[in-house]
Amino acid sequence: MNREEAIGGIVIFLFGVVTTFFSLKMPLGTFRMAGTGLFPLCLGVLLIVLSSLFLIKLYLQKKEGKHVITVQLPSSIKQLMLFLGAMLLATLFFNRLGYPLVAFLLMVSLLKILGMKRWRTVLPLSFITAIVCYFLFVQWLKIPLPRGWIGL
Amino acid sequence: MFESLQHLMTGFGIATTIHNLLYCLTGAIVGTLIGVLPGIGPIAGIALLIPATFGLNPTSAIIMLAGIYYGAMYGGSTTSILLNVPGETASVITCIDGYQMAQKGRAGPALATCAIGSFIAGTIGIFGLVFIAPPLAEAALAFGPPEYFSLMVFGFIVLSNVTGISLIKSLMMAVVGLIIGTIGLDPVTGDARFTFGSIYLLGGIEFVAVAIGLFGIGEVLINVEKPADLLEQRVLIPRLRELYPTLRDLKRSIGPILRGAGIGFGVGLVPGPAPVIATYSSYMIERKISKNPEEFGKGAIEGVAGPESANNSACQSAFIPLFVLGIPFAPPTAILLGALLIHGVSPGPLMISQHPELFWGVIASMYIGNFILLILNLPFVPLFANILRTPKKILLPLIILFCITGMFTVNNSVFDIWMMLLFGGVGFLMRKWAYEGAPLLLALVLGPKLEVAFRQSLMISHGDFGVFVNRPISMAFLLATAIFLIFPAIRLMFKKSKKGGI
Amino acid sequence: MLKRIFSILFVFSLMMVMPLQAAEFPTKEVQIIIPWAAGGATDLIFRALGATTGKYLGKAVVVVNKPGGAGTVGYTEAMKAQPDGYTLTSGITPLTILPHNVKTAFTYKDFEPVINVVSDPGMFLVRSDSPWKSLKEFLDYAKKNPDIITVGNSGAGGGVHLIALAFEKAAGVKFNHIPFAGGGPSVTALLGGHVNAVSVSPPEGIEHVKAGKLKIIALFSEKRFEMFPEVPTVKEQGVDFAMGQWRGLIAPKGTPPDVIKKLHDAFKKGMDDPVFQKNAKDMAVNLHYLGPEAFGKLMASDHELFGKLIKEMKK
Repeated sequence: MNREEAIGGIVIFLFGVVTTFFSLKMPLGTFRMAGTGLFPLCLGVLLIVLSSLFLIKLYLQKKEGKHVITVQLPSSIKQLMLFLGAMLLATLFFNRLGYPLVAFLLMVSLLKILGMKRWRTVLPLSFITAIVCYFLFVQWLKIPLPRGWIGL
Repeated sequence: MFESLQHLMTGFGIATTIHNLLYCLTGAIVGTLIGVLPGIGPIAGIALLIPATFGLNPTSAIIMLAGIYYGAMYGGSTTSILLNVPGETASVITCIDGYQMAQKGRAGPALATCAIGSFIAGTIGIFGLVFIAPPLAEAALAFGPPEYFSLMVFGFIVLSNVTGISLIKSLMMAVVGLIIGTIGLDPVTGDARFTFGSIYLLGGIEFVAVAIGLFGIGEVLINVEKPADLLEQRVLIPRLRELYPTLRDLKRSIGPILRGAGIGFGVGLVPGPAPVIATYSSYMIERKISKNPEEFGKGAIEGVAGPESANNSACQSAFIPLFVLGIPFAPPTAILLGALLIHGVSPGPLMISQHPELFWGVIASMYIGNFILLILNLPFVPLFANILRTPKKILLPLIILFCITGMFTVNNSVFDIWMMLLFGGVGFLMRKWAYEGAPLLLALVLGPKLEVAFRQSLMISHGDFGVFVNRPISMAFLLATAIFLIFPAIRLMFKKSKKGGI
Repeated sequence: MLKRIFSILFVFSLMMVMPLQAAEFPTKEVQIIIPWAAGGATDLIFRALGATTGKYLGKAVVVVNKPGGAGTVGYTEAMKAQPDGYTLTSGITPLTILPHNVKTAFTYKDFEPVINVVSDPGMFLVRSDSPWKSLKEFLDYAKKNPDIITVGNSGAGGGVHLIALAFEKAAGVKFNHIPFAGGGPSVTALLGGHVNAVSVSPPEGIEHVKAGKLKIIALFSEKRFEMFPEVPTVKEQGVDFAMGQWRGLIAPKGTPPDVIKKLHDAFKKGMDDPVFQKNAKDMAVNLHYLGPEAFGKLMASDHELFGKLIKEMKK
């Protein structure tokens, strides 16, 4: 727990540094006529201060020996990566393939990644989902979802 | 007062004609459906159906559109509870305990409590609307930029630690939210900020993308990362007699419902992000006064009942500034204003006297609509709760598809889907590293308003900071914030000295 | 044999006819891209206009909202659309402002003007109990106390802000401009007395003027207002200034002239339709028809004017 919180703290600290860096590139102005960069600059500095305080506090706690040991469940990073990849691909081809096709392909791949073995269930399930979504969003709600090359 | 009552009776007469009842019912049903779908919130729902009302008379049109508005608010909590997907700002808080309740097999009571709480809060809201609202609406005008700034600071500091885990961590997340909120066009000078040349970032980061990403997608990813055999499991299946709240649940909820209704009504009158402040405040208060605050975040029914009621009554009172001042304080009411205009009704100080049938008819229909929603929603509870019977390995892909589709519908933009996925990744990491999403979302909503109010105040005062403390309302909020920050420190010192004494 | 020749001729003639039919614009629905969210004034006007124009065009007119980036997202997409007349865009004043404020891929030159529909005059509102009874008193006070009168607007670099800047130049005074997040909040702030005046364009604040809570202290139109015939324009009072915000339809550059003419004729008929006329009156918008040529000139002159104003503002 402690170590992971600390990683988070460091990431947030870096976020603060990046914000401060880019804010300084913008006009700061005065308080009478605050410039574009003034408010983000204040926030960036505030974030650096807060995260530093937090990290110091964590460090002190660790010294006191309050370390909490958490049980790590065996995780499946590969499954997560495949899942993320399928989502990213779907978004990438959202306009080109068109909504109904993307919906179908996304369902098939996600179900497969999560370990649905039989194509006999995966294909009809995905097909029905895509059709229902198509009628719900495109036909009934008239949302201009991309048609793509199948032209639906 | 008696006169108002008489008008209200006339209003009921108008609202209970068969065709107006039908429009009310249609609006409520369509609204509920739209609310259940992630992404399409009340705003898009109303906008989609405005053209369909061109042929109706104004009263019927507004009755139907208002029905969509509060129907969507009802429906919005459903996805929060079942899938941890908040469709709009108001249902972020409901995710915290509602989703935990559902995970423990208590989705039914959570959904039913929402419906009952919303109905009670709606009833209170209507009476407030009729009797005490008009003078209060004028009072809201006392809020100028300095008052806003102080209110936002108060809300920001006090509410950011809404879940009560760690103040410093919550504040960190809140500041991150504020920074994300600065992306886009500078509201005061019109210059681009943190957009890195992308035109899509000019309008800022879409709130719904962050909310669905952090909560919904993040949760799905956490589940996917678990070993494959865990996915075979289902959520605890609710038994039939557990589908509705027990007497004990109701007893626990009634206090939060009433308090939530009061808070929501008050906050709704103030211009600004009322649903957010109302739901966060209600949750905060319930957690503070609860006898078992450790249950919050793990499925406390009070954490669902209070905020949902607060949200509903804030929605009701949001109609007051619209009708009395002709000024919409929230985006959904802005859409309704547009609909009113297209029907030849200009809301404003003259509306109640010029279009009494519309004003009182709509108010009465709101009450009837709330009742319709209650009887419409309670039978749906088992149906929705049974969605969780679906095995996770089927449910998770469905959630993803719904989120992607819903996200697109908000702005018809693929870029928003990218943003949602990005924040899904962030949400996943936050969950792993034990950080909270709620403060970030609060800050994302309040941040831009906070900054604008701050800069406006100083522009008006020519750079004099005295403007924040010379005005009584603003001063009061700042004092309250200071007390909130100092109080725990004093208590801590007190505790330490006590220990030292022993 | 004869049969074969006939059939060849038949096919040939079909091929001749086909392109002719394709030229029979329109063969499918026409889209209007609104670069702003649904429910705003622009959205409502073009939804109403689309509803009445459909029958004159022979095909439905659908409105598609592409909000984001203060309008830049929608305009960028519209610019890239096929110039076949099936994708139109609502061209409104910010189209000539945005390119000066932020780096955009488009200017008004990337579009062909089709028709202008609405032109709302700019105006300043003050509270009825304000110390200034007339434009003269208002300007005299402003001259003696530069940078003191606070004037709210609906957003930095937005239409009414620039109108206020242009007016202050024309009148030789200096105001303290306070940007708000939209016209509604600025009117609220005026009602609450947090600013001295606001720069708006109708229908913002009109209801409060009717109710006697606010009054029009400066009206920037060429003619007097139909609704308030007793309010004189600033021109009548010796300040040579008139400016407003327009909303029209534009098509991507390269749309064939005959298609534009067809669209223009249909939308003109849609504008004249009594149903639309009534809708527009109810919304308190000022209909102002301009043909493609005049509309194009208007965009060009505003583009230049706003460019100058923004350069001065940023100095």
